[in-house]
Amino acid sequence: MDLHLDPEDLAFRDAVRRFLDENLLPATRRATALTTGFINDPEVAVVFHRALHRKGWSVPHWPEKYGGTGWTQVQRYLFEAECARAGAPIYNGAGSNMIGPVLMRFGTDEQKKKYLPRIVSGEDCWAQGYSEPGSGSDLASLRTRAVRDGEHYVINGQKIWTTHAHKSNRLFALVRTSTEGKKQEGITFLMMDTGLPGITVRPIIGNGGDHEFNEVFFDDVRAPVAGRVSEENMGWEVAKYLLEFERGGNPVAGRVRAQFARLATLIGKKCPGDADIVARLGELGTDLDAMEMIELTAVSALQTGGNPGPVSSLLKLRWSQLRQQLAELAMDAVGVEALRWIAARPLYDTLQLPADEEQMLSVMPRYLNYRAYTILGGTSEIQTGILARSLLGL
Amino acid sequence: MDLQYTTEQKLLRESAGKFLAASYDYTSFQKISGGEPGWSAAIWSEFARFGWLGLPFAEEQGGIGGGPVEVAILMEAFGKSLVLEPYLSSVILGGGLVEALGSQQQRESLLPPLIEGKLLLAFAYQDTSSPVKAQRNGSNYVVSGTKNTVLGAPGAHQILVSAALGDGATAVFVLPRSTPGLTIRPYPMVHGARAADIDFGAVVVPEAALLGGNQNAADAIDRVIDSAIAALCADAVGAMTAMVARTVEYTKTRVQFGQPVAKFQALQHRMVEMKVREEEARASCLFATLSLAGPAAQRARAVSGAKAKIGRCARAVHQAAIQLHGAIGTTDELSLGAYAKRLLAYEMLFGTTRDHLRRYAAIISDPGIAAAGLLYDQARS
Ligand SMILES: Cc1cc2nc3c(=O)[nH]c(=O)nc-3n(C[C@H](O)[C@H](O)[C@H](O)COP(=O)(O)OP(=O)(O)OC[C@H]3O[C@@H](n4cnc5c(N)ncnc54)[C@H](O)[C@@H]3O)c2cc1C
Repeated sequence: MDLHLDPEDLAFRDAVRRFLDENLLPATRRATALTTGFINDPEVAVVFHRALHRKGWSVPHWPEKYGGTGWTQVQRYLFEAECARAGAPIYNGAGSNMIGPVLMRFGTDEQKKKYLPRIVSGEDCWAQGYSEPGSGSDLASLRTRAVRDGEHYVINGQKIWTTHAHKSNRLFALVRTSTEGKKQEGITFLMMDTGLPGITVRPIIGNGGDHEFNEVFFDDVRAPVAGRVSEENMGWEVAKYLLEFERGGNPVAGRVRAQFARLATLIGKKCPGDADIVARLGELGTDLDAMEMIELTAVSALQTGGNPGPVSSLLKLRWSQLRQQLAELAMDAVGVEALRWIAARPLYDTLQLPADEEQMLSVMPRYLNYRAYTILGGTSEIQTGILARSLLGL
Repeated sequence: MDLQYTTEQKLLRESAGKFLAASYDYTSFQKISGGEPGWSAAIWSEFARFGWLGLPFAEEQGGIGGGPVEVAILMEAFGKSLVLEPYLSSVILGGGLVEALGSQQQRESLLPPLIEGKLLLAFAYQDTSSPVKAQRNGSNYVVSGTKNTVLGAPGAHQILVSAALGDGATAVFVLPRSTPGLTIRPYPMVHGARAADIDFGAVVVPEAALLGGNQNAADAIDRVIDSAIAALCADAVGAMTAMVARTVEYTKTRVQFGQPVAKFQALQHRMVEMKVREEEARASCLFATLSLAGPAAQRARAVSGAKAKIGRCARAVHQAAIQLHGAIGTTDELSLGAYAKRLLAYEMLFGTTRDHLRRYAAIISDPGIAAAGLLYDQARS
């Protein structure tokens, strides 16, 4: 066993670095660094996505026949880490990490042909319509109703927490098509355009000040049956398959590492002599090293054809906490200055200050918004329950 | 030792709670915090009418003659209702300093209008990389430097400012906000309250603006700031209490998997931890409140200990409260987010949790003090 990068991997990494130097625009880097939400704004991220697309790198983890790269697991890992390190944004994970893999597994040829290329190119932006006011952790209790009427489903009901629904042209949703049997058995997975008559999107502002998620209301919306993935009442299987990707699709340690490095820089500037802060940074560094090692072990298992096991829930549990703790330490490092509040968003359009001062102003909103990480995509309590079963057999 | 509230104190708690529950709900908070000036003149005049603006001042100044316990009762109610009015900055800090340091004439000219709700004060004490200094120049002083995080300054009529005199002593000056050379740069804070940075550009100040005589004001400043910290601790206890209560309430009504989520043992344990922290915070706050009148070392130990302890409790409580609410906890739809922000401001203002832990640790590491409990012999101290 060793941790060496072999010469091909080193050459690959250098090629990625060169690409980033040439294609990741300073404005995109700045906007990404000043993003306070938990996810990148599509209008910022799509610029970089297009550059990736020109290079053939926009969906590296997809099979080659759909636009993927055919990279090894190690190369994918390096690519993610280098992008994060350079401060690159991620474009619309709901497209490339959720609906994309779902269509490859369950979609018809027609659906694949229609949708996949537009995810690869970044022309489509997708939103995820799973949660409802009464159905969060207990997703299968969802009630948004869809009734078949010829070649359409007529949809009535409401989704909530729909990230970037206001910036997306497409939506996939779980809808109830039957109330018989177990609640999981009456669910259908539907794709539709967000512009359909009867769809209303109402913003919800996070307490960090950002508009990321929304309520989406359906009032006699007529969605074509052609947008159905898998069979009617078979949506739960599709939904679960998608959640596997949402929770563990892409390597994550590189992203957390980049946040850690930015924090180390901030501390170096703001309070290098503060022993308490530096000790906490050290502690989080050891957490991150352990997490990266766990992820690398999983990558190595995949590379050699093995199964990584229940590691994705474990990683989600830890990376979400770690990202929160890093944001928390940034806030503590800035101290009382972190209380200064700029309400306008996005900060990268609002602020015109020296880079360091701009960073200080992003620290508090980020702390507040990052509280969401242990809630979205399955709360920590739910992940812990999953781990009790999968790790301990309880 | 007596740790029971008197009937009057209970009445104060009740009437403050009742008034604020009726006139200061989350919607009014949102309206007030989202607008200018960031507090309500109508509410302020109600505070005056109830005598709250005179609560801590001696009766001969036109006050009510209440002590730290009464102030804490009121502040806890303010924290519970997210009150943004500049009570801490104007009454506790500003008025407190005037009462502690001012000449009779200064007290008579400043305290009655403050108590009637017509005058607002702010105290600029937090120095920056260009600390405020005052130089004697004939019968005047010339004051220059910059202060930051001056709470309540955007709406204050008079600014109190601490300044280093040449001889190592500290003085406090009272300056009308319109004084030439004084620049107030206001900004909102995360929890909705307003503060400012203030530049003093060689401001020429007559000797009459000196608060009190020429004696060193440093001890009085420390005492008044400690009393403000104790008051802020009570505010945090109020905010924490509200967060815990709302979380319990919410989880009892939020149904997932066919039952209220409060039925899940994992959440019950979290909420018990939250409640225990709230109780610890309340106890620390009471210790600090009752130590304000004690000797300086006891006061510093209790106040810094409480600030730090409550800071740690506050952080754990606001994080758990958000988590247990799920996604709705990360929005401003419920008041929860506003409480979280208020508690974060609590943690950072007047020295962070870490600053106070250091101050506390320096005191408590003396084996004699470490061994002593909280009860003490007033006659011997
Ligand atoms: C920033 C953000 C973005 C999001 N984006 C989307 C999106 O794009 N599309 C979408 O469909 N959804 C989205 N969500 C919603 C997300 O999936 C839900 O928030 C999540 O599933 C939890 O549901 P809930 O918020 O209703 O919390 P609830 O399920 O009501 O949970 C409340 C509390 O109870 C706990 N709890 C629940 N069940 C149990 C149990 N069995 N045992 C122990 N504790 C339990 C939870 O852990 C939590 O602490 C987003 C959420 C956030 C915060």
